[in-house]
Amino acid sequence: MSILNRLRLGAHLDDAAIAALWAEGRPAHPHLNTCVACRNRFASFSSWLENLRADARTEADENFPTERLAAQQAQIFRRLEAAERPARVIAFPRFAEPLTSRSSGASRWIAAAAAAGLIVGVGVGQVMNLRHSLTFRASPVSDGRQAVAATAAGQRDPRLLTASATRDETFLSELDASLSRPAVPELRALDAFTPRAGDQAR
Amino acid sequence: MTGAQTAGLAGREADSVAASAVKAMQAEGKHAEARDRYAELVGRHQRRASRIAFHYMREAAEADEAVQDAFVKAYSHLASFREELPFEVWFTRILINGCLDRIKARTRRGRWISQMPDGPAGERDFAERVAGSGPSPEDQLLARERRERLSRALFRLPERQRSVFMLSHYEGCTSREVSALTGLNESTVRVHLFRAIRKLRALLAEGPLAEKLREKRRVNP
Repeated sequence: MSILNRLRLGAHLDDAAIAALWAEGRPAHPHLNTCVACRNRFASFSSWLENLRADARTEADENFPTERLAAQQAQIFRRLEAAERPARVIAFPRFAEPLTSRSSGASRWIAAAAAAGLIVGVGVGQVMNLRHSLTFRASPVSDGRQAVAATAAGQRDPRLLTASATRDETFLSELDASLSRPAVPELRALDAFTPRAGDQAR
Repeated sequence: MTGAQTAGLAGREADSVAASAVKAMQAEGKHAEARDRYAELVGRHQRRASRIAFHYMREAAEADEAVQDAFVKAYSHLASFREELPFEVWFTRILINGCLDRIKARTRRGRWISQMPDGPAGERDFAERVAGSGPSPEDQLLARERRERLSRALFRLPERQRSVFMLSHYEGCTSREVSALTGLNESTVRVHLFRAIRKLRALLAEGPLAEKLREKRRVNP
């Protein structure tokens, strides 16, 4: 044995060395076999750590008595059962199946039917419109219809056309006169003095 | 080989057999049978898991939830379990990761939410007030104080040192097991354990007054 080793063995172990020995799980250090003081210190260190362990275990076990563990186990299995049960999906009644999942043949038929319906609808609408206009021309039932009939008749008879034009002219000149002259007699004199835009332009 | 080691090995074999059986049943779609068989594994590891979770979380309700989550997660991911690894190691890793995630979440919450004040003299529930036939109130108080000091000291350790210390000392895991659980080298595990013990000893050797002062300085720098 070298002098250095002998000196090392002779020196007492410090706390760090004791902790290192304990952590490495090698309590059979040569110095411990020879030095009673270090052996005692190592023993007290070990017992201190044992107390720590005992305290920690007691505290944990106090917090988890058997009843709590049983409840915990029951809860774990409830959760496992719930996780395995398939989720309840409420399907929308009309579209329980997604539209995209239908066969392409069916969707093509639906599109063709919709297009045919549209064409037929437009065609029938046109025919109905034509029939209506023909019916109006054929039967003068209401005032509007009479006017339409009269216009149509006027185009055929020149006497009727002249009478209608005279009536229109009278009506328009009356309207013009009523607008050009104030309705309140007291204001007529004032109105006579007032220049008109049309007069200025001329 | 000691009796405990033999029992440990037998337990591991039983775990491996049970885990394989559950996996096979799950694959066949026999879910009720798989759950029944899984109960065996839960029963065997539940207490230890609760203890580990409690050491991490320091709160029984949160530890309870962490254990439940770990067992549910392990069951649903059993297909990824490799038989060459002990079930215990695989499961404990899931549990520890869950606990660490919860601690992170709690720290985040703690930044924003102020804590409710404790009841008088630190009492937690009615059961603590009821007189029992156990140790005297004085002994209980001293023991509680000692545990609180220990847990405070443990929480001042860096996360890795704390994990290594708890697993190797509280749960009696070997360096190799701790290495498999934490993903650290065996030699690194030993170094962390040594440092953890040294620091714990220094922290616990400090008087309660020094500890309070240090805590106060930490809160109000």
